[in-house]
Amino acid sequence: MTDDAIHEEEYKSRLDLRLWKRVIQHARPYAWHLVGLGLSGLALALIEALLPLITAWIIDAATDGTVEVGESNLMLYAGIYAVLVVSICIIIWAFIIMAGKVATGLAFDIRRKSFIKLQQLPFSYYDHRAVGWLMSRLTSDCTRLSSLFPWLTLDLVWGTFTLGSVTAVMFVLNWQLALAVLTIVPPLTVISVYFQHKLLHSSRAVRKANSQLTASFNECIMGARTTKTLVRETENLREFDETSGGMYRHSVRNALQSAVYLPIVISLGSIGAGLALWRGGVSLGESITLGTLIAFMQYAAMFYIPIQELARRFTDVQMAQAAAERIQGLLDTEPDIRDSDEVLARIEEQKQHDPRPGIAIDGHAARIERIEFEHVAFAYKDGEAVLKDFDLTVRAGETIALVGATGGGKSTIVSLVCRFYEPTEGRILINGVDYRERSLHWLQSNLGMVLQSPHLFSGTIRDNIRYGRLDASDEAVMEAARLVNAHDFITASENGYDTQVGEGGGRLSTGQKQLVSLARAVLADPQIFVMDEATSSVDTETEQLIQTGIERMLEGRISFVIAHRLSTIRGADRILVIDAGRIIEAGTHGELIERRGRYFDLYTSQFAKEREEFVLQT
Amino acid sequence: MTGKGKLLWQITKGQRLRYLSAIAALIAASCFLYLVPLIPTAVLNGVLADADEQVSPFMAWIVDVMGGRAFVISHLWVPAAVIAALAVTAGGFTYLRGRWSAIASESIIRRLRNRLYDHLQHLPCSYHDKAETGDHVQRCTSDVETVRLFLSMQIVEIGRALVMLIVPIPLMYMLDARMTIVSLVVIPPIVAFALIFFTKVKSAFKDADEAEGKMTSTLQENLTGIRVVRAFARQDFETKKFQEKNATHRGLDYRLYYLMAWYWATSDFLCFTQKALVVCAGAYWLWQGELAVGTFYFFLSAVSMFIWPVRMMGRILTDLGKALVALGRIEEILTSQTEAQIDAQQVTEPALLPEPRRGEITFDHVRFAHGTSEDVLCDVSFRVEPGQTLALLGPSGAGKSTIIHLLLRFYDADAGTIRLDGADITQLDRMTVRRQIASVLQEPFLYSKTIGENIKIGRTTANEDETTEAAVTACLHESIEEFDKGYDTLVGERGVTLSGGQRQRVALARAILQKPAVLILDDALSAVDTETETLIIDALRKRRGRHTTIVIAHRLSTLRHADHVIVLDQGRIVQTGTHEKLVAEEGRYRRLWSIQTSLQEDFGKQLTSAAHPRTQ
Ligand SMILES: Nc1ncnc2c1ncn2[C@@H]1O[C@H](COP(=O)(O)OP(=O)(O)OP(=O)(O)O)[C@@H](O)[C@H]1O
Ligand SMILES: Nc1ncnc2c1ncn2[C@@H]1O[C@H](COP(=O)(O)OP(=O)(O)OP(=O)(O)O)[C@@H](O)[C@H]1O
Ligand SMILES: [Mg+2]
Ligand SMILES: [Mg+2]
Repeated sequence: MTDDAIHEEEYKSRLDLRLWKRVIQHARPYAWHLVGLGLSGLALALIEALLPLITAWIIDAATDGTVEVGESNLMLYAGIYAVLVVSICIIIWAFIIMAGKVATGLAFDIRRKSFIKLQQLPFSYYDHRAVGWLMSRLTSDCTRLSSLFPWLTLDLVWGTFTLGSVTAVMFVLNWQLALAVLTIVPPLTVISVYFQHKLLHSSRAVRKANSQLTASFNECIMGARTTKTLVRETENLREFDETSGGMYRHSVRNALQSAVYLPIVISLGSIGAGLALWRGGVSLGESITLGTLIAFMQYAAMFYIPIQELARRFTDVQMAQAAAERIQGLLDTEPDIRDSDEVLARIEEQKQHDPRPGIAIDGHAARIERIEFEHVAFAYKDGEAVLKDFDLTVRAGETIALVGATGGGKSTIVSLVCRFYEPTEGRILINGVDYRERSLHWLQSNLGMVLQSPHLFSGTIRDNIRYGRLDASDEAVMEAARLVNAHDFITASENGYDTQVGEGGGRLSTGQKQLVSLARAVLADPQIFVMDEATSSVDTETEQLIQTGIERMLEGRISFVIAHRLSTIRGADRILVIDAGRIIEAGTHGELIERRGRYFDLYTSQFAKEREEFVLQT
Repeated sequence: MTGKGKLLWQITKGQRLRYLSAIAALIAASCFLYLVPLIPTAVLNGVLADADEQVSPFMAWIVDVMGGRAFVISHLWVPAAVIAALAVTAGGFTYLRGRWSAIASESIIRRLRNRLYDHLQHLPCSYHDKAETGDHVQRCTSDVETVRLFLSMQIVEIGRALVMLIVPIPLMYMLDARMTIVSLVVIPPIVAFALIFFTKVKSAFKDADEAEGKMTSTLQENLTGIRVVRAFARQDFETKKFQEKNATHRGLDYRLYYLMAWYWATSDFLCFTQKALVVCAGAYWLWQGELAVGTFYFFLSAVSMFIWPVRMMGRILTDLGKALVALGRIEEILTSQTEAQIDAQQVTEPALLPEPRRGEITFDHVRFAHGTSEDVLCDVSFRVEPGQTLALLGPSGAGKSTIIHLLLRFYDADAGTIRLDGADITQLDRMTVRRQIASVLQEPFLYSKTIGENIKIGRTTANEDETTEAAVTACLHESIEEFDKGYDTLVGERGVTLSGGQRQRVALARAILQKPAVLILDDALSAVDTETETLIIDALRKRRGRHTTIVIAHRLSTLRHADHVIVLDQGRIVQTGTHEKLVAEEGRYRRLWSIQTSLQEDFGKQLTSAAHPRTQ
């Protein structure tokens, strides 16, 4: 996995309050839990302050001998103590429960939102991002962020409260000494800012490396067979070692930074106490009494405990920010291809009415009569035009075959029809309306598509065919399978329609996968039917059976057939020869043969010689 | 010791000394940190307070070390400096602890990751057929992270906790046996409780972890098949599916918190009870005059001191439980047998291939089935002479690809033998077999690298000219030149940014560049147009004799120049012979041929009319 193989947003900003504001938005539903957590923090701080007091009371009683430590006294002590301890335990119980609610709920929500977002992002987003990279955002990044959240709240409340009250008490006791203790605050701030920068930087590197590792593992498993055929294991491992080495370096750097930062903070805290001791000792008897100094020193010692705890959290926060950036980066990506506000408004309006027959959810006619390409240009990357000034009109009932040299742009044309990508110039019209003014979901739920690389989901064959129409009955599923001639091979296997196809359909042969995907598309009963080399791995005999099978089915629909085999395309109403993104010839099979152009060349190169030989033999 | 425990012990190999040092540093740091607050106390009580006040000997000693009472009074900066020095020393040790434990744990984890990666790529295909990718990725990332957290945080803490727990006990016992028993009485229930909780948390974490695995799997499948999801507008369906897994995971994850809540509440209650017991019993005996004040104070601080590690033990055990579960899931991968391990059981000394490599292939009564299902191949026998071309033909699912997979030793035949240059391939090292064979699989996989790197991946030592030559043979060179970045164009994951035909031809160029003894093209030209196909076939025919070739295709034009054609149906060979023989013979081949040539009727007419000027 090379580094630049993947688009990676660069994150530059420092501790970003806007980001955190957005992240906190996710915690909205848990506001009360968080308040509860904060309150538990306070209550805990209070009770923990009380406990030593009552213990001191009983101990004083015992050692001084002033108060009799009778059974009643001990019982009283035990009683108060028990009440306090039980309340502590209840609070502990409650705050862990609340923390659990927040952490798991937050993770759940963020995952849900990210998943929904991923379902909306266009293919161009996926073209440049590895699956593993996206996965790591929903798994480890998400865990990092959500599990920190409740504890961060708790510690922030507790830390600020303790810090504030200790400072206040110190000022009340002696403000000069308090200032002496506080002299450590400016260096502490400078150091923290410095380390914040460093830690954030290394945390980002760690999160990024984590994505890379996830992607590498994913690729390792997906490409296991190819790796075997290439005997590339050693080489792969060497490359992986570089990635895991990167992770090692960044993690160690991150850990070392906190290993330096934390002791510095702790030392600074102690130095503050030392300063107070020095100043206090010098001015003892002048502005301060011994009793006050003793009390003051106790508080000065308490001063650095919350600072230390907060410092510990501080390093976690940097890691969480790095994770949050990645998640928020995904959530904030606006899909390039989506319903415009106007379309959404129309869909809303349409929802008010009773469903009218023949009207789609976006208020336009539901039946697709005509698809037009109007001066369409398209490029995946700037400067590498795939389609140029492309015009085409297709009417319902027509079967359009696309043929031509590989890389000519055939798949691209159907991708544009399906609005997986949108034209960079020109328009595509459905029934005369720019399809950008129609609902994306409506268009895509009227598609039946067999992709060039067949992909099935793990589950049974039945599940996979039914993916085309979720409410289809078993009979309908079988009917679709019969139509594409898949029924025979399915029933021939032991479990029939309940055969598990394995991940990606790996337990079927490629041709079988194509048949199942074809059945899936047929079952969808679509208005636009697209077969992108749908039968390229099926033998000619079966293919002919499929052709006759679906011929009737294609009636009244718009269908696009891409194929290299003459037998597949011969019957099409119109054959378009595509080369370098242009239609160079169009017509029926007969017309094109007549014309003796490119089409003729394409197929005679193969057949002319064969025919000659065949004639010679017979 | 359980397997997981053994694995845990085993992976720390080489870093144990570092861990010990980290523990020592942590203990040193704790001692120095413990001293820091003593200095102000000593100064306040022993220096600044009235001279006749009683000072404990330890405090007096601290004052003496700093130069004595009189000196300190006139040089009050000294204690401040001592505090700073102690704090900085403690800081130094803390740093060392952090450094050593970070390096140790990260090294271990790096090794573990590499080991997992390497193991995964050496697992047999039959394993990968069943494995869920997402679940495995989760094991390799999330579970490894759980182990990492344990290694970097807890191992060192275990050391400290043990020391803090064990050191005070003899001291306590020497001072007062009765008080010692009182101080320790609640410890056994706490420990017992922690152990019970440990098993509980283990099973709860296992459930949560498995749920996470399932969720990751669903996510991975969705992202991999995102194009299909879109083509059928199944976003809502997929979201629902994911949400189910997500919700299950949330529930099980929450259950973990729930258990923790009970654990912490109970264990803290027990700890506080222990403290209260000491206070009450101590106060009572003190009042009775059976206990000295000093001893009482000692027990008070001792109990606070070791209650902390006891509480800590709970956290450590929790994390250990999680780490063991995670390790268990990792171990499941690591103990699955790799291809080499499977071979080692059958073949002690792999045979050597005779030189020079000729590329002769024989199948001798080969039978094969996936697991216990029905046979995919039945009694398949054939022989390919060195340098010749064999064509395989047959309907979907006939077993053509399976023959290739057996030859590549993705799977081993259930009966019969396959020979390469006369050597039984099961007696050879798998790598050796595969090195002889370059193949374009039916669904070619490209790595997310540049086109150039992908072509060269089978032979990284190839130079520029050889790469170009391979690309030219595969009719790919011109297409690549059209890209802005040429050979440096990135292909995206699995080659998604290339067209289907381009993807196949990159795989073809990659195979050609390998200069193998055997070249296999499994439906490798199905996405290539007929014209390009002819060019490629011609180019390959020119290389005839350099390697044995096996071609699988459905277009007869691809196959017809083969020296030998085998027609398969349902795992059996139904016809063999040359093109000419098969065309003349009744059977599937002839049927296919006539379908494909019946199209020529049109051409036939056109060809004859081509001789005459067009009349229109
Ligand atoms: N997702 C993508 N990102 C960038 N470039 C792409 C992408 N998909 C295709 N291309 C490029 O666009 C051109 C046209 O590709 P397309 O898939 O439309 O060809 P095709 O006619 O279907 O070819 P084939 O017959 O080989 O499938 C090719 O040069 C290809 O490399
Ligand atoms: N991993 C697997 N587990 C179980 N069954 C499998 C597995 N791979 C293939 N099969 C089955 O084995 C049979 C032969 O498959 P194979 O891939 O060899 O067919 P093929 O002749 O290559 O077909 P195609 O022309 O479609 O590629 C098929 O019925 C298929 O379902
Ligand atoms: Mg294509
Ligand atoms: Mg096959």
